[in-house]
Amino acid sequence: MLIKRTERQARRASLAGALSSQSGGALDRRTFLRRSGLAAGALATVGALPLVTMRKAEAGPPAAAGAQVTIRKNICTHCSVGCTVIGEVSNGVWIGQEPAWDSPINRGSHCAKGASVRELVHGDRRLRYPMKLVNGQWTRVSWDVAINEIGDKLGEIRAKSGQESVYWLGSAKFSNEGAYLYRKFAAFWGTNNVDHQARICHSTTVAGVANTWGYGAQTNSYNDIRNSKTMIIMGGNPAEAHPVSLQHLLEGKEMQKANFIVIDPRLTRTAAHATEYVRIRPGTDIPVMWGLLWHVFKNGWEDKEFIRQRVYGMEDAKKEIEKWTPEEVERVTGVPGAQLERVAKMFATEKPATLIWCMGATQHTVGTANVRAFCIALLATGNVGGVGVGANIFRGHCNVQGATDLGLDIGTLPLYYGLAEGAWRHWSRVWEVDYSYLEGRFETPKNMGIPGIPSTRWFDATLLPKDQVSQKDTIKAMMVFGHGGNTVTRMPEAAKGIEALELLVVADPHPTTWAALSERKNGTYLLPICTQFECSGSRTASNRSIQWGEQIVKPVFESKNDYEVMYLLARKLGLAEQMFKNIKVENNVPVAEDILREINRGGFSTGYCGQSPERLKVHMANQKDFDLVSLRAADGPAKGDYYGLPWPCWGTPEIKHPGTHQLYNTHLHVKDGGGTFRARFGVERVIKTKVMENGVEVEKEEKHNMLAEGSYSLGSEIRDGYPEFTYAVLQKLGWDKDLTAPELATIQKIGGNNPGAVSWAIDLSGGIQRVCLEHGVIHYGNGKARANAFGLPDAIPVHREPIYTPRMDLVAKYPTLPSRREFRLPNIGFDIQKANVENKVGEKFPIILTSGRLVEYEGGGEETRSNKWLAELQQDSFIEINPADASARGITDGNWVWVDGPLGAKARVKALVTERVGRGVAWMPFHFSGWFQGVDQRDKYPKGADPIVLGESVNTLTTYGYDPVTGMQEPKATLCQIRAA
Amino acid sequence: MAGFISHARLIIGALALMFVFAAAGPAAAQQPSSVNPTAQAVSEDQLLNALQNRGGTISGRVTIPDQQSATLIQPAGQDWRSFHERTLKWIGGISVIGMIVLLIAFYLFRGMVKIERGRSGRTVVRFNAFERFVHWMTAACFIILAISGLNITFGKSLLLPLMGPEAFTGWSQWLKYAHNYLSFPFTIGVVLICLIWIAGNIPNKTDVEWLKRGGGIVGEDHPPAYRFNAGQKMIYWIVVIGGAAVAITGYLLMFPFYGTGVAGMQLSSTIHAIVGVLFVAAMLGHIYIGTLGMEGAFEAMGTGTVDENWAKQHHRLWLEEEAARVGPNDSEAQARARAAATPAE
Amino acid sequence: MARMKFLCDADRCIECNACVTACKNENEVPWGINRRRVVTINDGKPGERSISMACMHCTDAPCAAVCPVSCFYTTADAVVLHSKDLCIGCGYCFYACPFGAPQYPKVGNFGSRGKMDKCTFCAGGPEADGSQAEFVKYGANRLAEGKLPLCAEMCSTKSLLAGDGDIIAQIYKERVVKRGYGSGAWGWKTAYKETIAS
Repeated sequence: MLIKRTERQARRASLAGALSSQSGGALDRRTFLRRSGLAAGALATVGALPLVTMRKAEAGPPAAAGAQVTIRKNICTHCSVGCTVIGEVSNGVWIGQEPAWDSPINRGSHCAKGASVRELVHGDRRLRYPMKLVNGQWTRVSWDVAINEIGDKLGEIRAKSGQESVYWLGSAKFSNEGAYLYRKFAAFWGTNNVDHQARICHSTTVAGVANTWGYGAQTNSYNDIRNSKTMIIMGGNPAEAHPVSLQHLLEGKEMQKANFIVIDPRLTRTAAHATEYVRIRPGTDIPVMWGLLWHVFKNGWEDKEFIRQRVYGMEDAKKEIEKWTPEEVERVTGVPGAQLERVAKMFATEKPATLIWCMGATQHTVGTANVRAFCIALLATGNVGGVGVGANIFRGHCNVQGATDLGLDIGTLPLYYGLAEGAWRHWSRVWEVDYSYLEGRFETPKNMGIPGIPSTRWFDATLLPKDQVSQKDTIKAMMVFGHGGNTVTRMPEAAKGIEALELLVVADPHPTTWAALSERKNGTYLLPICTQFECSGSRTASNRSIQWGEQIVKPVFESKNDYEVMYLLARKLGLAEQMFKNIKVENNVPVAEDILREINRGGFSTGYCGQSPERLKVHMANQKDFDLVSLRAADGPAKGDYYGLPWPCWGTPEIKHPGTHQLYNTHLHVKDGGGTFRARFGVERVIKTKVMENGVEVEKEEKHNMLAEGSYSLGSEIRDGYPEFTYAVLQKLGWDKDLTAPELATIQKIGGNNPGAVSWAIDLSGGIQRVCLEHGVIHYGNGKARANAFGLPDAIPVHREPIYTPRMDLVAKYPTLPSRREFRLPNIGFDIQKANVENKVGEKFPIILTSGRLVEYEGGGEETRSNKWLAELQQDSFIEINPADASARGITDGNWVWVDGPLGAKARVKALVTERVGRGVAWMPFHFSGWFQGVDQRDKYPKGADPIVLGESVNTLTTYGYDPVTGMQEPKATLCQIRAA
Repeated sequence: MAGFISHARLIIGALALMFVFAAAGPAAAQQPSSVNPTAQAVSEDQLLNALQNRGGTISGRVTIPDQQSATLIQPAGQDWRSFHERTLKWIGGISVIGMIVLLIAFYLFRGMVKIERGRSGRTVVRFNAFERFVHWMTAACFIILAISGLNITFGKSLLLPLMGPEAFTGWSQWLKYAHNYLSFPFTIGVVLICLIWIAGNIPNKTDVEWLKRGGGIVGEDHPPAYRFNAGQKMIYWIVVIGGAAVAITGYLLMFPFYGTGVAGMQLSSTIHAIVGVLFVAAMLGHIYIGTLGMEGAFEAMGTGTVDENWAKQHHRLWLEEEAARVGPNDSEAQARARAAATPAE
Repeated sequence: MARMKFLCDADRCIECNACVTACKNENEVPWGINRRRVVTINDGKPGERSISMACMHCTDAPCAAVCPVSCFYTTADAVVLHSKDLCIGCGYCFYACPFGAPQYPKVGNFGSRGKMDKCTFCAGGPEADGSQAEFVKYGANRLAEGKLPLCAEMCSTKSLLAGDGDIIAQIYKERVVKRGYGSGAWGWKTAYKETIAS
């Protein structure tokens, strides 16, 4: 037997000879470090070592003898970290994955999901061909039939109920190009009822952050956290949700000996590595943050100079903060004062400090206010706009940042232009269609400016009486592209909503919960969409870096990519000619590069203008040149660029702006990615008050400066605050002379009679941006960030108890906002909260139910639960219960239990008895579905396309509650009761 | 000797079965004002020290259904190894080879125990066909189980060098199947043996006398005995108790993780092996007495009948009982009794 | 000659299970066989630590010692491998292994054990390096290509280290010195009879 061993040794010896950089079969230290991604510091800079990354043709799973093995790079589709995936392809089959050592984001690493993406493509649970529900039976149809029937039905609904009755639900798993095309599609269809997963994950972040300092995105990056001396993770569990980010966090923690503070209701896998863990009651983020700032202000730890120069309204915030004494904070949140004081001191004095959050902060009826409180904490301590600081918001899906940026949103066109006429005119210029054509597509021109219905409430807009929905008719058709059906709260009502629809189209690699949840018998189509690994395009990671993914293999089975399906539908609806005017279409497939070029041409507002497909591809090909910490290329063809040209990347691609690693960083020149807070909220705020003077009522006017004072970015020619730039401002400064003739011509063409009004955001030549950068100023102005975000329902965040709260004693003092109408629908949260207190719901359902992510699954989980390598690791839906609560109910670990929701819904799950959750708190993962209130729905999936693992969804139990600013749902704080099954 | 100590440790450890390591400090009722998970981390040293010499495992939580995989480190594996590779080989070697040596020496010293008065020519039924069937079924199974069992313990030292790895694996693989499958008829045999002969194997006063006189093995003494003398009773109880022990432990090993974890399986394997080799040794003695060691003994299980003089010599009390029941020298009655006992014939 | 070892830095491990699925992916290990797994000790308590565990490729490997058919062998890199052609599925290696590494597919007879399967350190088996036969029985042979096991290469936090024992011990030691804490090189005492002093 051991004869073979000697043969092996002989072969190994000859192999070792061939790999001259390696010593005798073993790896030398340097090669090892390189391969294990451990090279750091000196070793990394030395390391021009050749890497043996090409798999030999005979390697396993061995390709057929002599077959060519090609290497293709794409981006993991599972979270916003943006890990590079390297696929080895032989004969059109994806035969292996290799670590992507060169990516500065993941350095070869993956989590469970990333390490198993190959199975997504070859998995046998994929939807193979278009299907249609005929009298309750799934029937195979051809693409032609499906597109024709869907198109005809859409036309019928449009004629009868109007274009607003069709809801276009898009996806954070689209590429940027797909997201943009889908938004464009909705615009051409004539509705703003278009949304995607950002609604249910970080819509409140975007609203809160953008309303504070300008842009709704992570200010820094995963890599930049390596510079932080203190990091607070509040309402996030990146160890499970963004595992590869922990590489940066933990290495940062070790290298900087940093404070690693986790504030969370659960002792999560992230908290297990904290240096300080603070347990809070779900839904009390604002009191905790105010309690923290109470210590900051009391001890004078705030950054007074920063506040003076760059912050508006901190005094107003302070008034609210002063109410939150340690005693009141402990009464409301359960956090001891001494602990918060310690955390406050670290955060304010051991700088740079960063605040990291995720859906624990955002998914609340007070989501926007939570985010605003977090921003105020950063502003008060001067921890924003630099290296190692900032709001490090970990977005969820792989392209939720990009899809948000590209306007898959009920309230804006691509790139945050909004819905005002100017925005429509801007995009009609980019699309080269007449404004009047777009007007004609809508029911009335006025509808173009009315925000749509949030995805959290599509079923309310389906089920409510017509007169309660502020549009021509209720929702009649759902066009669902890449969006789970179990990720929105109040699932029992969603099930009824699905049944009430006339048309349901699910375009996805998997049938999803949409296909199985209801008792629908007809009018349902499933369109097989390929994964992003079978498609090329760009995606924006959480840190705003844009990465180009190349197709690894051709779409499997009969699946098609998003672009092609949108094109086919547009063609059927007669929109293709206008929509694809400037986009090349090959064999019905629009070319991704062309779509990105169109985005570049219109993307000036957010700095999506400089990332041409060519530049992005250069970055992907030269990942090794980018520094791990600064993300900047020291050498190579992308020298000087930040990795992935993180937006804003100003001007046209030709001016080669490097992108922006840290937003609002005044320590850098704007041409090096520096910037200031955006002057988005005017030059002055005028407050008119009526006061009695000598018995006469007089109106007094108070003027507040909204521009920065004495703060400016490095090398700025204007050494103080300044407003946004328009052509008129350029003229005043005499900088208009620097515009080239073609630039000026474009500005004049856009401006018509009033070229002076042409702003930096709608100047399609990029000239205003170019000239500003030359003068070291930033075209969006140099304003103050707002501690007082006037205009929001709570300009200064105040604590509001969750609608379903066990602390009914606190509701009188901290009630939710009054009931009102918003987004075309009524929001009756206040009435429900009041009724809950009257009915003592908190006593009957004494356990707080909160939800979150598992590392093995993603989102609604259909895709990952169909992946056998992942599904094996989590085979049952479960609920985490504190041992005290469990023993009081006779529940032991691993038992089946019934979880009862306050609205009568119930779920049968396994008990996981653990101290991860505190007493009175239970936690469920949100990835499961396929069981509904104890009933296994496996039969309802098309045969063979059912996920391997099914289970109860937490959203069967979650309840009412919507953020006033974005319509965000409340899955993080509701109530339940648990009993042994 | 070290082997024995570690073996003892293994058993103690195995008996402790699932020692679950409890964290220091109970959960506080009120929220503590400082929780530092980095500083409070468990270390491997702590956990290993806690296990020191007490068996048990370092275990935690896994998400996969296979709860065996929740055991991170089980140091008892090392003890099992040392038992299996050293202690067992000594026990097995000493008991099996020792028994063979003993028997050879005894044979040389004592020779075959003859029927003192020679054969009478008259026979008595000793075991009916069913009894013989049960005996031989069990015996045949036992021999193969023994060979396969010894093979798995000693084969790699004795046979592997001779046969070469491929052939030895083929042979061992078949013996493994044989061991697994034949365990069923063997177990049935043991159960039947237990039932059909229990009446004659309850110890009584005669046995004390018999044992006092050393069973007459040495010298020419022949202490009286009923159907089974004390020596045979010992064999009976060895078969019943030993058989039960190997059967139970064997099935625990054959159906992994049904009803026991790895510690239980280590213990099972230890018991199985020790009882197994002692069983083999005992059966060697049994085989010796039944064949070479005693004239006229084999036919009891061979044809089912024994010579009257043999019976008189070794089982006088039984013969008297039989005579009282069917009458002496009544060959017809004897034939009837035989027919009645074996209706199948 | 290099002496290959695994080391899981529990102060980095976050139980992300990348090692588990990377292993499945690279070796196409079937459902129910877990060559690698992550165990969380003191789950939910502040001292909680997760450790990724597979075959540690012990010095003087107990599995090899107890194997009744001697189907194990140790490569020049000190990787403990076995021949599935010789294995009879007796289960002894599972009793002896301190780390629960051996896995057995359930086969027909009473759901009992088939031929043992375990982590190969991505070094395949006795068949020709990189051959189809080797892949089907044992999975990939990355070592022969100058690569390390994919579980360690893909570890999300660089917690799981694989490679020359001296080098990874050095890396771990440097980490512990730099950060000032370390819960130990889990399994090293048991597998290699050594500790990494820090």
